Amino acid sequence: MGIKLFKEPELEKPDLICGWPGIGNIGLITVDTLKGALKAEEFGEIEPCDFFYPRKVSIKDGLLESLEFPSNKFYYKKLEKRDLIFFIGEEQPTEGERVYAAGEKAYHMASLVSDVAEKFGCRRVYTSGACVSLVHHTMKPRVISVVSSEKLIEEVKGHPNTVLISEVGGGKGEGVITGLNGLLLAVAKRRGLESICLMGEIPDWFSRAPLPYPKASKSVLEVFADIFGIEIDFTVLDKMLVQIEDIVEGVYRGFPPEIKERYDERKLIAHPEPGGITEEDAKRIKEHIDEFFKKGGKEGGEESS
Amino acid sequence: MERNLVEFYQTFQFRSPSLVLCWQTHDVGKLSSKVIQSLNEKLGGQKIAEIKPAGFFPLGGIAFKDNLIQIPESEFWACEKDDLLIFKGGEPEYEWYKFLNAILDFAQHYCQAKELYTINGNPSLAAHTAPRRILAVYNQPEFQKTLQDYGLEDMTWEGPPAMSSYLLWLAQRRGIPGVSLWPGIPFYLTAVEDAAATKRTLSFLDRRFNLGLDFEELDRKIENQNEEIAQLREEDAEINGCINRLESGLSLHEEEQVKLARGVYEILEK
Repeated sequence: MGIKLFKEPELEKPDLICGWPGIGNIGLITVDTLKGALKAEEFGEIEPCDFFYPRKVSIKDGLLESLEFPSNKFYYKKLEKRDLIFFIGEEQPTEGERVYAAGEKAYHMASLVSDVAEKFGCRRVYTSGACVSLVHHTMKPRVISVVSSEKLIEEVKGHPNTVLISEVGGGKGEGVITGLNGLLLAVAKRRGLESICLMGEIPDWFSRAPLPYPKASKSVLEVFADIFGIEIDFTVLDKMLVQIEDIVEGVYRGFPPEIKERYDERKLIAHPEPGGITEEDAKRIKEHIDEFFKKGGKEGGEESS
Repeated sequence: MERNLVEFYQTFQFRSPSLVLCWQTHDVGKLSSKVIQSLNEKLGGQKIAEIKPAGFFPLGGIAFKDNLIQIPESEFWACEKDDLLIFKGGEPEYEWYKFLNAILDFAQHYCQAKELYTINGNPSLAAHTAPRRILAVYNQPEFQKTLQDYGLEDMTWEGPPAMSSYLLWLAQRRGIPGVSLWPGIPFYLTAVEDAAATKRTLSFLDRRFNLGLDFEELDRKIENQNEEIAQLREEDAEINGCINRLESGLSLHEEEQVKLARGVYEILEK
């Protein structure tokens, strides 16, 4: 039980790019869109039984045809500038009631992904996720980065619309990237691989919504396009973006006027510091969101500034 | 197999047994518990081993029901003379894969089990006066052919898997032929014992394994149950109307279903 490779492509010091579900599914959408845009080819998987429960059975005319688990697949693409390996996990392995991966299973999953990275001589691992911030929903989300070593700092700062976590919302560059989008970085670093997390900004109030936030994924994809010198067709992502924007606007229109006014102050400042919306306002907005979606919010966040 | 997952109670000797497994978590029509109880009582079953609960069941406290402490049970019983290995227990809450493999490891490596049969009651919209049907799911077409003359009906389904389907799938990967049996239980008998479904299931096992079971007691139970429901139909026109409609193949509204189920439960549990 573990890694199953259908073929072993010859790759030249590839980079590994990983995506799992999380807040706004920013990381997953980013990596899946990139993989699709580059027409990356599937070459392996992590066998799911140890990590996940089956989610669907197909029985036809009395015969058990298949049992379906969340997939955890590897893909590769040879590019002019750099070869790439993608890993996309449809679910994070959890223990107990947690939403994001934690504990022994999560570490095991991160180790198996790192095993493949080492086997193919990867030099660097990228993950992507969400950074819950005070950004206004009409503003272009920035890409917030966390890196594994000092020497990568200048490099990431050189990418468009990209800042370090320490530059965000009065933060001190401290925090936690929950789940596998964070844990993998640590496991990769321990094995001597460079690791970088690129997180798209999502408005604090919308981070509780059970919906994707493709606007942030697009920001992260633009950074990946810059890193690898590629062009990405955003047609499909843009369609999703328009649909979600309608929903975001709908929720926003339901804000109480006094909160809307204070929230809109965020538009006047390029990158707002904490403040403007009070804790009481935040609580009311969150209640409004929960009511809007008739569903409770998610547990914690990937990274909050 | 991780030997420390299983506690052994006594030695046993099988030739090449069949594993009969009944989950007791959702014991629809008390079918699983009654089938296992009948087999163990009538065939002289002996408890031989148990999968330890730690890691598979929440053990933060102990549940109780009807004043009795409920301990998660995952027991293997041996009916050596008839070469049957029986598993009775609740569905695990955690680590399904590990738990199901522990069952199969024990059956395959310690008992050399050759076939798997799982049994689960399946709520149906049929009336209690109709013969009980058994829907079946096989993990090998050859095994489906072997059992084609037993009056089982093929199931077609797509959706969330039952624990039995997961076990069947794992058995398939090991090359162990298996079948999941889903005897239909009239929905208004799901909370009480459906003796007719128990008999239908035991009759299948009796024929398949030449067990020579005696059904006299069950026949008496079925008769009593039918009489009590007939009495209720005489006394309550609405309930009678509901059952009439089911007998004609018609459906009931949700409120009618609830009333019928409540009425039958009250009379049979009394």
